[in-house]
Amino acid sequence: MKHKLLPLSETMHYILLALREPLHGYAVMQKIEKISNGTVILAAGTLYGAIENLSKHGWIEPVGESGRRKVYMITAEGSAILKMEQNRLLHILSLYEGSESNEEI
Amino acid sequence: MKKFKIFFDIEKEEQWLNEQLQKGYRCTNISGLGIYTFEKTDKRYVMRLDYQDYLSKKKFKDYKGIYEDFGWIYINGSWLVGIRYWQKEDDDQNEIFSDRQSKGNYYKRLMGYSSGLGLLLLSFSYMLYKDSGLYLTEGLWSMKGALFWKAFLFETPFVLLRLLPALMVVFFGSSFYKAYRKYSMLKEE
Repeated sequence: MKHKLLPLSETMHYILLALREPLHGYAVMQKIEKISNGTVILAAGTLYGAIENLSKHGWIEPVGESGRRKVYMITAEGSAILKMEQNRLLHILSLYEGSESNEEI
Repeated sequence: MKKFKIFFDIEKEEQWLNEQLQKGYRCTNISGLGIYTFEKTDKRYVMRLDYQDYLSKKKFKDYKGIYEDFGWIYINGSWLVGIRYWQKEDDDQNEIFSDRQSKGNYYKRLMGYSSGLGLLLLSFSYMLYKDSGLYLTEGLWSMKGALFWKAFLFETPFVLLRLLPALMVVFFGSSFYKAYRKYSMLKEE
C-alpha cells in the first residue's frame, strides 16, 4: 500500500521544498508564504504537527539550534520522496498538453 | 474577575472563553478545578484550544516554542487533562490549524481522549453497580407507605451521586460522537 502521507498534501509538499535549506519552524512558514506567493500561510498547530509527522517518518531531521529554536532540514529519504512526487506531477502535467501522448512524433 | 464553570466539550469551552474575551477581557489563569481568571483589557484577544496527549519536557518545549513564534501565549491549564489553552491578540491570523489534515488530526486526538476517559469510567461504573442495585438500603422495596417514601427520598441524593460516573460516560460518549462526526466530515469532502 501507498505510504499514508502520499501523495503529499500541499502543506507537506511545501515544507519539504522549503527545508532543502536548514530553517527553524517559523522561518519555514515565512519562506512558504513567500514561495507560494502568499497563497499558503501555515498556522502554528498545523506546522507543529507536520514537522512532528515528517520527523517521525525520517523525511526531515533536526540539524542544530538557533537560539532556543530547533533547525530542521530534509533527509536523503525526504529528497527521494520529493523526486518521486516530481515525477508523478511531471507525468500529470504532460497529460495536460495534447490528449494522447503516444500520438506525438 | 474569576468565573467558575465546568465543561465536558472542548469546543463549547473554547466558544465560551471567546465570548468572555469579546467583552473586553483577557484570560490570565485556568485552574483544573474549573476556575477561570480574567482581567480587563483595552486590546482584543482570541483563544484557541488544542488537545495534545502527554508531551515530554523536550517535546513540550518545541511545541510551545513554535506557537510562541506565531504570537500565541500559553495559559497554564490543568496538567492532568491534555487541553492546551492558547491566547493571542486578535488579528488576521487567528487560527491554529490551516489545513484539513491537521484539523482532522485534532479531532482524532479528541476522539482518543473522550473514548479513553469514557471507557475508564464505564469500567468503574460497572464495578460500582455490578453487585448491588442503585439503592443500597436493605429491604427498601418491601417497605410500606410513609416509611418507604421517607427512606426512598432520603437515599435518592446518594443514588444520584453514585450515578455520576455513569452520567459522565454519557457526556464523554457524546463528545466522542461529536468529534467523530467532525472528523469524518473533514475526511469526506
